Amino acid sequence: MTLTTILVVAAALIGIGLYGTLSQQSFVMLMMGLELMLNGVMLAAVGFWSLTAGGLPTGQLLTIIVMAVMAVEMAVGFALITAVYRNRQADVTEGLTTLKH
Amino acid sequence: MNVTDIAFWIFAAIAVVSGWRVFCTDSMVRASFLLMLSFIAVGLIMVLLNAPYLGIATVFMMAVEMMVMALFMVMYMMNPAGLNPMMMVHQHRFSIAAGVFLFAALAGLIIVTRFASNPVAPGTEVVAGLGKELLGDSMLIFETAGVTLLATMVASVILSSRSGRFGAADTGSVPPPLEPGGEPAGRQPEQGGGHAHHHH
Amino acid sequence: MTTIALTAAWVAFLLGMAWYVAVLDGLWAAAREGRSPRAPLANPLYRCATMLRHQSNLTEAPDLLNWRLAPALYAGLAGTGVALVPFSSTNVLADLDVGIVWWGAIEALTVVIVFLHGWSANSQFGLIGAYRYVAIGLPVMLISMFVLIATALPAESLAIPKIIESQRGFWNVIRQPVGLPLFLLLGLSLSFRGPFNYADSADVAGGTAAEVSGAPRLVWEFARLAMLTAVAAVAASVFLGGYLGPWFPGPMWLVLKTAAVLLVLVGLSHQLARISPSRMMTLIWTVLLPLSFLHLVWAGVLAL
Repeated sequence: MTLTTILVVAAALIGIGLYGTLSQQSFVMLMMGLELMLNGVMLAAVGFWSLTAGGLPTGQLLTIIVMAVMAVEMAVGFALITAVYRNRQADVTEGLTTLKH
Repeated sequence: MNVTDIAFWIFAAIAVVSGWRVFCTDSMVRASFLLMLSFIAVGLIMVLLNAPYLGIATVFMMAVEMMVMALFMVMYMMNPAGLNPMMMVHQHRFSIAAGVFLFAALAGLIIVTRFASNPVAPGTEVVAGLGKELLGDSMLIFETAGVTLLATMVASVILSSRSGRFGAADTGSVPPPLEPGGEPAGRQPEQGGGHAHHHH
Repeated sequence: MTTIALTAAWVAFLLGMAWYVAVLDGLWAAAREGRSPRAPLANPLYRCATMLRHQSNLTEAPDLLNWRLAPALYAGLAGTGVALVPFSSTNVLADLDVGIVWWGAIEALTVVIVFLHGWSANSQFGLIGAYRYVAIGLPVMLISMFVLIATALPAESLAIPKIIESQRGFWNVIRQPVGLPLFLLLGLSLSFRGPFNYADSADVAGGTAAEVSGAPRLVWEFARLAMLTAVAAVAASVFLGGYLGPWFPGPMWLVLKTAAVLLVLVGLSHQLARISPSRMMTLIWTVLLPLSFLHLVWAGVLAL
């Protein structure tokens, strides 16, 4: 369980998250991709904190802030999805065309 | 290869495989709970890494978040039970390429970097240290996060309210009337909040 | 005690207390209906044997993996909850530094498991029970976390053994009186009994357990009783001082206190009426949650 292996696992999670974010048509699935990416980031942060920062408390603080960011992103994201659906009946990204050229 | 290493590899495999299956499964409820499984595996890895509070708090928070997300999935997606095959993707090959490229770039960087080795001393009080840091030196950050969460609560309630700024929020999505000048076609939401609401 | 002896004690505690709650349920129901109970001590065991002989029901296109896993996971979570509770000052099966946080994770995962149990049967009543339970179970979990954090304040630690040790002067039920009633509400909600039985009640024809029979049904009902036991054991530890007490040995005090809390819980679940989900949600969000905030402020001021 070296830092390299932990970071490679985190990179895999970030890569899968990016694939999901870019490929999914539905808003909620897109948000699940974002959540996976933040998952990878949290794992990398804890890995760095545990194996190279010698237990510096600000490392754990970063992870807690990322968790708060995840909560904020989910809440505002779902509120936006609800607002967009009410306004335009759009539940996939293809349904929003006002900025298209 | 001691027990910790074996446990780490098992959890890492669970995290990556269930993360991938989130986007391959047909059933939407299963997708959100597979994501929860990925988060639980990452949380358990954090426990192995001497961060017990962070790991178990991840499991706790993600269980609640994924439960709420499952409800939203059922609201907005067509196939909650997964009884029909479904693949709603766009720019699929580009996204696979982007994901693989990002992973390869990051993994390449990670493998060629030589990291310092400064592990957490086995007897340190990590939870007490986190508490003292949160409410001591980093109190400003903590308070800002608190105010941000409050702003988020207010914003989400406002964004998703039924009465928009210029009228009802769903005026843009109501279907046209069947005869000119008539009622909008389609099912009307029940007036007065619906039969499931009790007024008190 | 060795780990093996501790594990045996843990299993005996779970099974014994679950049987005790079943006996109490039978006695209370008989008293309310005005008849004399039929074989009160052996009746739970007869019902176990009967349930085992039924066939396990199948519906059309269920999510079979989640449906069959849910009762086992629920029982497992209840077991880990009891494992957090120390039997005496040196005997605890799972000495977690962050016991309170793991208990919070147990509550959150319980909501997920009950939802899965109702949803995976592919039947309307299960789905209704699951949705109603999620709407009520999530905010009740928030109340319980504030109450538990309040008990952790005098102990300056998130570990349950340390919280018990901090009660050597005064039990937490005396220092923080609102905590125990709010936590008992959580107990009723985690095993959805009585006023919080939105998941499995008769008005949705059995709810999440409507389509379940046979051995899975037995595990589900046992898991509900085991979760009630876990809540009572944790309540006895963080509010009533756990194994602390004069004259008798520690484990005996824990068993007595857990049995007393279980008596109160069973009484509440049979005597209190269930109100409609929207009214209960209003009650939780406008009355009980602010009360738990005030309780936390009170505990903080006391601990300063």
